[in-house]
Amino acid sequence: MILNFLNMNGYGLFVWAAFSITFISCAIVFYKTQKTLKKYEREFAKEINELSTERRKLVIENSKIASQVLSSQSKTI
Amino acid sequence: MFSLFSPSNIFYWIGKLISFINSIFFILLLVALSFALIFSPPDYLQGDSVRIMYVHVPSAWIGLASFTCIALLSIFNFIFKTKNLIIVTKSIAPLGLMFTCLAIITGSLWGQPTWGTWWVWDARLTSMVILALFYVGYIVSNKLILNEERANKISSIIAIIGLINIPIIKFSVDWWNTLHQPTSVKLTGTSTIHSSMLTPLLLMFFVMMLYCALIFLMKYKTEIIRMKKKNLKRL
Repeated sequence: MILNFLNMNGYGLFVWAAFSITFISCAIVFYKTQKTLKKYEREFAKEINELSTERRKLVIENSKIASQVLSSQSKTI
Repeated sequence: MFSLFSPSNIFYWIGKLISFINSIFFILLLVALSFALIFSPPDYLQGDSVRIMYVHVPSAWIGLASFTCIALLSIFNFIFKTKNLIIVTKSIAPLGLMFTCLAIITGSLWGQPTWGTWWVWDARLTSMVILALFYVGYIVSNKLILNEERANKISSIIAIIGLINIPIIKFSVDWWNTLHQPTSVKLTGTSTIHSSMLTPLLLMFFVMMLYCALIFLMKYKTEIIRMKKKNLKRL
């Protein structure tokens, strides 16, 4: 039964190749996008942490995005 | 009311949406795949090779819709000069290119058992390759031209010229004599596809759209952080 399902009446090679190529490409793009996002979040948080205390305070007060990224980074740590 | 659309609020909601899509995506994917590979019947002529349709057709739809979206937003950008639109189009383009290429590759895999050939230079297939080239031109111009304003202008022109290709792709099967079958799913008028095949097709399309939304939101979030990072350096 499983072999019949995999064979797809002789079209298995084409069907499985089409589905595999689609899902592998999607998985690669997802992985790369997520990696880039994490990298940017990490770098951004690092740059904020490297600022002087006064400037860091100013940035966090003025930018909710900065404070959100910092809090998400502290959660991952 | 307007504070709802402030960048910080948008950023917050993007985060929430990403987590929500992540939580439901795999369940929906499993359901859609079960319908596409198990529950849907084989075609009376093409047999089980028809199952390729469940990845080929949604990929082609997304490829076409993404480019139309990019071109229309580029026109708006020319008129209103909104930076936000550029971020949106830049985030959509790689996805559109990927799905256009997937439509071409899966179409080729479907063509071999159905037509007896991997490739023919007929109107539908050739116009899809041209669409992929427009995507490449759009992405490359954004990456290679260092002057941001110039890059946006050139890529927008490429997108607007490429818009001419969209109706050509859509109506190529009606205008020319091609190997490709005519449209089965119609927005206006009755579809010529049975509901037992239409359901998995729409389910797969919905799942792929969710995937696109997920990638788009992550790319959009990355672009916002990249811009904030740039502003931080200016401080």
